[in-house]
Amino acid sequence: MHFPRKRSRLLYDDHLAVTAVTIAVVIVVIVVIAGLLVCCVFCIGTSTLSSLFLSALSFRRSLGTVSPELGLDRPNLSDPNRAPLFAVFLAMRFSFLAGLVAASGALAKTVQYDMSIGWVTANPDGEYDRPTIGVNGEWPPPVIKCNIHDRVIVNVTNNLDEPTALHFHGMFQNTTSFMDGPVGVTQCPIPSGSNFIYNFTVNQPGTYWYHSHYSAQYPDGLRAPFLVYDPDEPFADDYDVDTYLTVADYYHDPTPWLSANKFLTLFNPTGSEPIPDNGLLNETQNYKWIVEPNTTYKLRLINMGALVSQYIWFEEHDVTVVEVDGVYVEPYTTDRIYITVAQRYTVLLKTKNSTSTNYPFMTSFDTDMLDTVPDDLMWNVTGWLTYDEDGEFPDAAVIDEWVFLDDFNLVPVEKEAPFEPDTSITVSVSMNNLNDGVNYAFFNDITYVAPKVPTLFSVMSSGNQSTDATIYGSNTNTFILDHMDVVEIVLNNADPGKHPFHLHGHVFQVVERSEASASDEEFVVYDASNPGTINEYPMRRDTVYIRPNGYFVLRFRADNPGVWFFHCHIEWHLQQGLALTLVEAPLEIQKWTIPEDHYAACKAGEPVQPVPIAAGFKTKGVVALVFSCIAAFVGMAFILWYGMSELKNTEHEVAQVMGEIPLDDELSDSK
Amino acid sequence: MAQVFEVSVFFIVFRETLEAAIIISVLLAFLKQGIGKSMDDPAIYKRLVKHVWIGSAIGFFICLAIGGAFIGTWYSLGRDIWGSSEDIWEGAFSIVATVIISVMGLAMLRLNKLKEKWRVKIAEAMEQRNHAGKGMFGRFSRKYAMALLPFITVLREGVEAIVFVGGVSLTAPAKAFPLPVVCGLLAGCTVGYLMYKGGDFVKIQYFLIIATCFLYLVGAGLFSKAVWYFQDNNWVKFVGSDVSEEGSGAGSYDVRQSVWHVNCCNGETDGGWMIFNALFGWVNSATYGSVIGYNCYWIVVMITVSLMLFKEKKGYFPFLKSWTEKQEAKKIAKRRAKMERLQAEQQAEMSFEPKTVESADSV
Repeated sequence: MHFPRKRSRLLYDDHLAVTAVTIAVVIVVIVVIAGLLVCCVFCIGTSTLSSLFLSALSFRRSLGTVSPELGLDRPNLSDPNRAPLFAVFLAMRFSFLAGLVAASGALAKTVQYDMSIGWVTANPDGEYDRPTIGVNGEWPPPVIKCNIHDRVIVNVTNNLDEPTALHFHGMFQNTTSFMDGPVGVTQCPIPSGSNFIYNFTVNQPGTYWYHSHYSAQYPDGLRAPFLVYDPDEPFADDYDVDTYLTVADYYHDPTPWLSANKFLTLFNPTGSEPIPDNGLLNETQNYKWIVEPNTTYKLRLINMGALVSQYIWFEEHDVTVVEVDGVYVEPYTTDRIYITVAQRYTVLLKTKNSTSTNYPFMTSFDTDMLDTVPDDLMWNVTGWLTYDEDGEFPDAAVIDEWVFLDDFNLVPVEKEAPFEPDTSITVSVSMNNLNDGVNYAFFNDITYVAPKVPTLFSVMSSGNQSTDATIYGSNTNTFILDHMDVVEIVLNNADPGKHPFHLHGHVFQVVERSEASASDEEFVVYDASNPGTINEYPMRRDTVYIRPNGYFVLRFRADNPGVWFFHCHIEWHLQQGLALTLVEAPLEIQKWTIPEDHYAACKAGEPVQPVPIAAGFKTKGVVALVFSCIAAFVGMAFILWYGMSELKNTEHEVAQVMGEIPLDDELSDSK
Repeated sequence: MAQVFEVSVFFIVFRETLEAAIIISVLLAFLKQGIGKSMDDPAIYKRLVKHVWIGSAIGFFICLAIGGAFIGTWYSLGRDIWGSSEDIWEGAFSIVATVIISVMGLAMLRLNKLKEKWRVKIAEAMEQRNHAGKGMFGRFSRKYAMALLPFITVLREGVEAIVFVGGVSLTAPAKAFPLPVVCGLLAGCTVGYLMYKGGDFVKIQYFLIIATCFLYLVGAGLFSKAVWYFQDNNWVKFVGSDVSEEGSGAGSYDVRQSVWHVNCCNGETDGGWMIFNALFGWVNSATYGSVIGYNCYWIVVMITVSLMLFKEKKGYFPFLKSWTEKQEAKKIAKRRAKMERLQAEQQAEMSFEPKTVESADSV
């Protein structure tokens, strides 16, 4: 007898196996599919997808145009950290638009930087990975470089999970005060996920920097140099290489967190500032600046820190100061610079003929500014003038006394006698606790609290009332300045600390600056009838420190309409409210038009009601229901398919069991 | 309606009844074919048929007793235990019900094969019984084989049904039982009779397919509902009181999870929608979880069906060819060994014992 061989018998025992395998497969499939779906739902829900898409887009765009290096008129431009800068250049985009012929005869260009600001993990001091705020996926952020009279466009996309704002420190922003950046003063914070364009003309040479001016954000990394090249600089022929060196204190914890949890709290009643964890040279440590022998470097020193001033010196090398805060000064040779937060010094440094030795250079915290100096705090950071990369890198020598350049005595190249003031503002600095137990800082007993509507926007909307300081609120410390008046700011420091004060939109004459008082109990207070030392041609700059319990007198001409912030540049003190607002020529300001995206940033901040509950079937409900129905019908189709599939005849199996025919394996054996 | 007619109970009772009915019909068919010399003497045939029915009836009544006790105990003891965290239990029970329904569902489509399967099994059983041991028990089982087989089968299927019914309806009120149980019994018997009569097989197959589709609709709904219950449990925990039972309006559900919500048609409380809820898992307030769960369930069903079809066509599961073949070989070897043993016994019996007078059961 011949029986066709049957390969399969779905008998009862098989069912167990079928079931077991099925269950295993089912579990795996459920997990995989559910995981995928959940991911999808969450992605859509949190708009992560869209922001990912945005960043990918800007990345692609930034890679799209590899730009020529800027500063074509200065081919010897070199940079101390070339490798990271290469990446920075990749991330830039320069547009060459119809330019204006500037006074110097150079063709003014438009320089555009697309900055996607977001979190980047970095380890600047080699001790601790932490999220830093970077640009286009890189940290540190790119150095902005342009020539004088160029137009700079910074196209910001905020990919942080928090708002931000950029301030271009030292830029006069003539007729573009709304591009200045401080939140609450000239703009609303840039909301997470949105776009914001800074667009201004740079008509000033020198060394600047840009940083976040939102909350205590910039010490988290959003800070970088802003260098303006000037072919007509007075010392143009005195150097070979143009480069920069930044110094900064550095915190391991996010500074807004420190501010909220360790600083401005009931449990810090003395208002002691958080102690930095480390110091950085060019945003790194063990920095080896490779130099050529017998070369003069134009070295732009910038303190981008949050709190401490720093002493900077180069062993066995003198430096000649030629520019401070964008103001050219008569060359002044010194062996040590004292640079407060936000100050800049441009120095000429001539290297030795011999390449046999590497020389340490030091940046050292002014520890007087720290309430306590922890034992493990490395408040000195050493770098090396590296003549020979394979040579030894000696330790820095110990020094006994802090002799350093007093910037008060620098003389600007463009000489101005002290102005005669038309108006004077006298404020006294103090620090005290308020009823919430938190230690605040005051100008004349008022601590600055940022208004909801930026002061500049209040100027725009207040018509003739804009000249009334009270409309700007009781806590904005606002002063109205008349156009072209000479304004004098007298600042008496009733606090036993050093404070670097910064005025936006201007450089000011430092007409007087007293020594510190002899004891903490006494104050040296300005007395117009009994002036102190006044130089023939006072120093001008945009950030100047005041000594403990002393005073200074600053004068400037109100020739730059705008809303300008005047504040202590110690980030912690700004958080404590050590700031005031100058509204300069408000009626002139009202002639301007503020760009739409600046208003849009404010609209995003408007508190609005939540959207109504989507009752009934909206798109997602219909989609869900339709897909569920489809799934059900397709599933039933599968069942139908299974149900209708050929049923196997088991007749011969019965026969086998009944012993009427031989078993299958006998058949196969006989084959 | 859902309160008096638990759909899943109906299907389970129907399926188990059908299986029992098939066994009985197979037995009757065997008798008709003359197995056990039943056709030699109409008296013997009648007696054997009677055996079959008596065995089935005894099995069935024992089942009813067990089932009644089981469910009675269940409701007198169990109901209060879960009252405090109702949602999480409803979710867990719904999952149990889904698993039970899903596992037995596809088997229903193979009921006609089930018939074949039982033919093999019964043939095996009778073959064995012919050679059952001596003594009192051996004699008894040989004499009443035609009653014992349906008795055991009916009892087994019945107990299975009780366990399943208990499983799928843990959350249902007691009054939701009787109607679907009776309906399931009637439907099962009807279809079983039709199959015995050898009625239009294709029509029965269509009927089974439709029934299975409904079964899986119920299963998908239950699964979706289980996820919904778990999420609702979370929501209730956050809120501190069961707001979902206070109405259908805003505030009764978690807006963050909502995919759709209509302030009506509540599948738990509103008449007609409860049928919708029982059959299709309708909810008036769908969540991401319940929608995704519903669709995943169907995807899993599709994959399972594909796998089983693959196995039936090719004889092995995808990527498991050698494993399946090994299992097959083992089974054939086992069956072969059994047959050889039986043949050996038979020969021994024939050589040592004269044929017994009452060898009505032997072949």
